[in-house]
Amino acid sequence: MTFISNLINGISLGSIYAIIALGYTMVYGISKMLNFAHGDVIMVGAYVSYICTTSAGIPPILSVVIAMAVCTVLGILIEGLAYRPLRKASSLAVLITAIGVSYFLQNSALLIWGSNPKTFSSIVPFDSIALFDGKLIITAESIVTVAICIIIMIGLNLFTKNGKMGKAMRAVSEDKDAAQLMGINTNFTISMTFAIGSALAAVAGVLLCSAYPVLIPTTGSMPGIKAFTAAVFGGIGSIPGAMLGGILLGIIEIFGKSYISTALSDAIVFAVLIIVLLLKPTGLLGKKINEKV
Amino acid sequence: MLKVDDINVYYGNIHALKGISLEVHPDEIVALIGANGAGKSTTLKTISGLMRTKTGSITLMDEDISHTDAHKLVAKGLAHVPEGRRIFLQMTVQENLEMGAYTQPGYVKDGINDIFERFPRLKHRKNQIAGTLSGGEQQMLAMGRALMSKPKLLMLDEPSMGLAPILVQQIFDIIKELHDAGTTILLVEQNAEMALQIADRAYVLESGRITISGTGKELAQSDSIKKAYLGG
Ligand SMILES: Nc1ncnc2c1ncn2[C@@H]1O[C@H](COP(=O)(O)OP(=O)(O)OP(=O)(O)O)[C@@H](O)[C@H]1O
Ligand SMILES: [Mg+2]
Repeated sequence: MTFISNLINGISLGSIYAIIALGYTMVYGISKMLNFAHGDVIMVGAYVSYICTTSAGIPPILSVVIAMAVCTVLGILIEGLAYRPLRKASSLAVLITAIGVSYFLQNSALLIWGSNPKTFSSIVPFDSIALFDGKLIITAESIVTVAICIIIMIGLNLFTKNGKMGKAMRAVSEDKDAAQLMGINTNFTISMTFAIGSALAAVAGVLLCSAYPVLIPTTGSMPGIKAFTAAVFGGIGSIPGAMLGGILLGIIEIFGKSYISTALSDAIVFAVLIIVLLLKPTGLLGKKINEKV
Repeated sequence: MLKVDDINVYYGNIHALKGISLEVHPDEIVALIGANGAGKSTTLKTISGLMRTKTGSITLMDEDISHTDAHKLVAKGLAHVPEGRRIFLQMTVQENLEMGAYTQPGYVKDGINDIFERFPRLKHRKNQIAGTLSGGEQQMLAMGRALMSKPKLLMLDEPSMGLAPILVQQIFDIIKELHDAGTTILLVEQNAEMALQIADRAYVLESGRITISGTGKELAQSDSIKKAYLGG
């Protein structure tokens, strides 16, 4: 029974990583940059939802919508103010800027909300389910998390496969100049990608804090790094890769904690990443395309 | 139709275009020929807004477009098939064509039918990933994609590059057909002989400057051109 319980916890944690990893991978795909501030957008989303429910008495579901809206605007601002001026700069300059934005968000959160941990109360209003005479307990948070993750995966797939904006995003990801020659506004398209990634980060933040209720200004860092790992693991730039990488990473982490060592679980996660990258440098679902010139 | 007046374009310190002026009148085929590195592609990129000129102006159908964003020019009737085709290799043939009609959402269906009629080889491959097409098919897709925006002025950058002679002939036939159907064409070509054959007028570019201009016939018979570009 512990095995099944671990598996469910792993998939649920992995679903959160997957949702965060989608933001990393979409942004990487379109702007070829690693947005290290993405993890901190998660934290902002969680704080916004927390403040809405505790200080303003707003219903939890509505608080999530507000958190998504705030993070969407935040994502657009980060891209427009910090990254867009560096569109043609070296990738090292962009990376350092991203780290700067990350610290800026953490320190702003510290200023606004203080360093005292906040206890986040779950936004999921259901009770856990007990099966097999209480031997197997499935939390409502896990079920909701996995369900939301599946909905996001299907929605995003349809959007990028069939939506006009989604196709434009793929075109811009591949070739910005050619996309402009089609009449696609590349700046707007990149903005929208940050907007979607950040809105998903808000959802991930709320789900994360519903399952692990301690909220501090650095809450987003570790999940951010793990999700980044998941994105690389699955093949950075690939949406299905981010989903697969995220879920596998969650499972590996929980099993590592349970069967090997709690202290080493993070090390195990990264060891697996290194092994996968040695065997398949483009990640699990990342592909190399042969260009014809 | 198009008037380029005294443009100077730089890549950092490299002065690529040194005061170029040229004109394309409605319903003309104008060829731009010149050696490698003369600045032909840079000229087209500057017209379509991918590069900016430091001086002078570019006018498209009586409108100054020197500072207009590249993506806004498509709706004004300008299409540019860039050097090296630059189709979206990871998208399907059909999706590439859809992207071509990005500014003409109502034309997607009819447009794709038109393109498939013109390029039957693409029709059988419509769900194939563009990166797996042959070079000639990719060139057809690049041209088809540009036509999806219903351009008034079509700029082609070396459409015959890397193609077998029979395909080159086919591409030139298509250019003539498009011209007959009312599309104005600005053509950059290495294959000066064929370009001069179909061009109403032509310009010769040498290290960023226009050195010779005239009708296609005149240039095809000029001795200096024969020596430099026509192999004798
Ligand atoms: N991205 C770039 N960075 C720096 N210099 C460039 C760049 N692109 C072109 N150049 C330079 O600008 C000049 C003109 O290049 P351009 O590509 O316009 O030539 P071209 O006439 O199209 O040549 P080709 O027939 O080989 O395509 C060349 O000297 C080239 O080296
Ligand atoms: Mg060129």
